[in-house]
Formats: sequence, structure tokens, C-alpha cells
Amino acid sequence: MIQLHNVFLAYQQDASALHNINLKIGKGEFIFLTGPSGAGKTTLLRLLYGALTPNRGQVLVDGQNITRMTRSQLPLLRRSIGVVFQDFKLLHNRTVFENVAITLEVLGWGRVDIGKKTMHILKQMGIESKHNSITQCLSGGEQQRVALARALVNDPKILLADEPTGNLDDANKNQILTIFKEANIRGTTVVVATHDRRLIDQGHKRLVTLSKGEIVEQVEKEAARDDQNI
Amino acid sequence: MNKWKKKPPETIRTFRRPSLAGDGFGGRAGFYLTRAITNIRQNVFVNVVTVGTITLALLIVSLFLLVFVNLESATENWSERVQVTVYFDKELTGQEQSAFRQKITELSGVSRVSYVSRDEALKRFRGRLRGQETLLEGVSSEILPTSFEIALKRSYRDTVSVEEFVTKLKRISGITEVQYGEEWVRRFNSFLNFMRLLGALLGGFLVIAVIFIVSNTIKLTIYSRRDELEVMSLVGATRFFISAPFLLEGLIQGLAGSTLSLALLYGLYEGFLQNAGSFITFNPAASGLSFLPVEHLLTLLLAGALLGFIGSLTSLKRFITV
Repeated sequence: MIQLHNVFLAYQQDASALHNINLKIGKGEFIFLTGPSGAGKTTLLRLLYGALTPNRGQVLVDGQNITRMTRSQLPLLRRSIGVVFQDFKLLHNRTVFENVAITLEVLGWGRVDIGKKTMHILKQMGIESKHNSITQCLSGGEQQRVALARALVNDPKILLADEPTGNLDDANKNQILTIFKEANIRGTTVVVATHDRRLIDQGHKRLVTLSKGEIVEQVEKEAARDDQNI
Repeated sequence: MNKWKKKPPETIRTFRRPSLAGDGFGGRAGFYLTRAITNIRQNVFVNVVTVGTITLALLIVSLFLLVFVNLESATENWSERVQVTVYFDKELTGQEQSAFRQKITELSGVSRVSYVSRDEALKRFRGRLRGQETLLEGVSSEILPTSFEIALKRSYRDTVSVEEFVTKLKRISGITEVQYGEEWVRRFNSFLNFMRLLGALLGGFLVIAVIFIVSNTIKLTIYSRRDELEVMSLVGATRFFISAPFLLEGLIQGLAGSTLSLALLYGLYEGFLQNAGSFITFNPAASGLSFLPVEHLLTLLLAGALLGFIGSLTSLKRFITV
């Protein structure tokens, strides 16, 4: 589903953000990207949804080479990727419903279907009673779930999440992890960038560790579970 | 299950949608218009600021245009005084009059030709010396010349055209003395040219300033909503999908601004007509002042709409990343 070959990316000429990244993520897989702040987790995610293009190397997502995509092709790819941003990127002058419905509007869905599908996902997230609230009036956990609902409402093939549990309490973290797992069970490939050790431990998923823009360690699912058992 | 059955190819790029409500040009246009109106409702303050800026900017331009149009029509009236007079030292017979009239009318640029007989000339002379009639005691019309007064069409009233016309006029046999207020025509035309140049310069500067102010205001309003543009592009919206409501919004803002500015201008114009008499010696009825003609009003409305549209278009280019 996702392949990176010898990817090199530098924001400035002398400092590389990603260096020689080779990574394969299979269809339906669930992986955690971890590493200290500044390791390149967010940069790697941004490469996957086409917000950045590498200086060298190839990035293949859903069978398409992002580095060779034209600007008009990129929106079509993004429609099959759900992204949860670290800062949520919610529209604060719009309601919860409108924030989630925007994904379906872009796809050209009819108004009735948008209503049904949006309310359905809000119910799954446990925030259907807030559908008419302005997002600014919500708590951090609720905003996070709105961002998740927007990313998942069109059942994307890939879900990318950047520090999704940043400021959440344990109860909220568990709920978010459950939502990720459920999406994964439905067939969505999930990539979560986090340095939340507790989330990684609870996840029992493949773990890719980045440091200074390089992949320094990859632990497969079983190994991760074994580590947990020890 | 038949294992030989061909597996359908997996769709990669397209995303199936469950319904096609609102499809077609009308449906999509309706969607974008609804979106634009919703955007205006959700960003009332920003929209009020933008419409206010467009209104004030266009009010300045339209006020300038109103003054310019009225000055133009005043100079049009003054230029009526550009006329060529052919003098004869004898009274012309009816036959001679019509022969000359025909020859003069055949020349290009003539709008009106009128014959002034000796009696008519004396009557005018008396009229000018009203109150000092004693000066004309014993004077008969015999001493005055007869003449043809020739008014020229608007485009033939500049110095060069008048001189060319006079040269042609003098070629007609029997015409020897021609007067046309050479110095006055020259001065009047240089005043007219100066006024037009000044108008074009001032108007040009005003229009540039207005474009600059309006486009920057629109840029700021779009900048304040850059998050919206970013989110739209991140969820897979095409450039057109993101831009269309903003462009319609710009168009609506421009139209609203230009309509308001014209309404304000009309209010100012009427207010001036009603109240000017009390603070300056001014008779509105006799002044010949007029409001902007319909074609100018339509041009201003269109200019407002275009200003909003193009302002949004150029600003969006900067902020949409897809």
C-alpha cells in the first residue's frame, strides 16, 4: 500500500530532515512511527499525503508514485487518505457536522447521504449530540474525535495520524486507539506517528523508530507483542 | 464459487460515491452559490469590511466620474460657441442664399447654417446695446453686413479641423471674409485638452489606487481564511472546488459594493441639488447638472463585480497549494 525507496528530503541544503528512508507498509497493516521530537515523523507523514515531495527517492502510495504526480492528480489520491493532524486543523467557525461533512462534499455526495453518513460517524465517535456545536467550544478530546471523524467518514484506504493522543487523558487515549483498531479491522491501513510509549505498548503493532531522519529500528508485530509479554 | 471467474480489477483512483444529487452544471453552480452565501454568513465581519472598502473605493471613482461627466457636458455647451461666420457686404437674394447654403452644407462637418439679414443683424446689435440705444440713433441697417453663421459638428470643433474647414470655405467663389474667433477656439481647445489630460491622469491614479486597496483587502480576507483553504485541499478538494465559492463570494462582494456606492452617490447628488442653494449661489434647475448616464452606471456595476472576482482570483492563486 505504501512504499518509500531511498527517500531523501532536506528543508535546507545543509540539514536533511529524512535520510535514505526505505519502508514498506502492506495493505491493511497498522504501524506506529516513533522517535524523539525532530526525528522526522511528521515529515514522513507529510510525504505520504503529498504535502511534501522528496529531493531524492520514490514515494508510492496506493500504487501511485507521488513524486511523479501532477497537481491535478493529487486531490484524487488525497480522497483515499484520511489524515488526523497534530493540531487537528478544524474550522472553528463551523459546526462539528460541517467540519466532518466537508470530506463528503468534496467527493460530491448528495446532501441526504452526507447527513446520514456524517451522523453515523459522529455516533461512532460518541459526539453525535455535539453535531451543532462550534468546534471551538469543544474539549481537546472532543476536537480530536471530530478530526478523526473527518478523516474516517469516507472509509479511506489509508489513515495517517500525527500525535493523535498529544494532550489527552488515558480514557480518551484508549478510545482513540480503539477507533484506530476498528478502522484497521475494516481494512484501512493505519500509520500513527507518536512518541506516546503507552499507546505503542497497548497497540501491539509493528513499530518503526526514526532518529535524526533515519529509520534506526523496525520491530514486527509479533516481536512487539513478545516485548510486551516479557 | 467458480475459481475461474475473472476477478474484477481493483479501482485505484476513483472513489465511488453513493448518490449523484446536485450533479450537472445547474446542481454544481447551485452548490457553489449556496456555499458562497454560507461563507458570507459565517464570516459576516470580514465581508462587511470588504464590501465597505469596495463601496468607499468605488464611491470615490464614481464621484470623480460624475464631476467629469458634468464638466464634459458643460464644455460641450461652451463649444457650441465655436462657429464660423461668412460676411457679405450686400443683402443676398433668396436664390443666392440657397445657392450659398447648399455649397456650405456640402462641406463636411457642418451641423447648422443660418442666414443673418441686415435687419436681423441690427436687431441683435440693438439687443447688445440695451440701455444705450441713443448711440444707434440715425444708424440704419444698410451699414451692417449680412452673414451666414455656420455651426460645426462636435468632432470638427478643434483648432485644426476649424482651420481646414475655413480653408475649404474660402474656396467657394463669392466668399471672401470669414471669421471664426481664431484665438478663442485655440484657447478653448487647449483648455479642453488640459482638462482631459488631467481627468485621465487623476482617473487613472484613482483606478490604480482602488484596484490596489480592494485587491489587498480581499487578499487579507482570504488570508484570514487560509486554514479553510488548507483543510479543503487536504481532504482532496480540487483547485476549482476550493476556488469557486470564493470567486462567487468576491463577485457578490463586488456587486454589493458597487450597488451601495452608486446608491450613496445618488444620495449625495440629490442632497447637493436640494441643499447647494443655501450655501452657494446655485440654481440646481438652471445648472444643467445631471446624474451619471445608464451606460456609466452599468459599467461601474460591472467594474465592481470584476474587481471582486479578479481580486479573489489573484489572492487564491497565492494561498491554494494544490
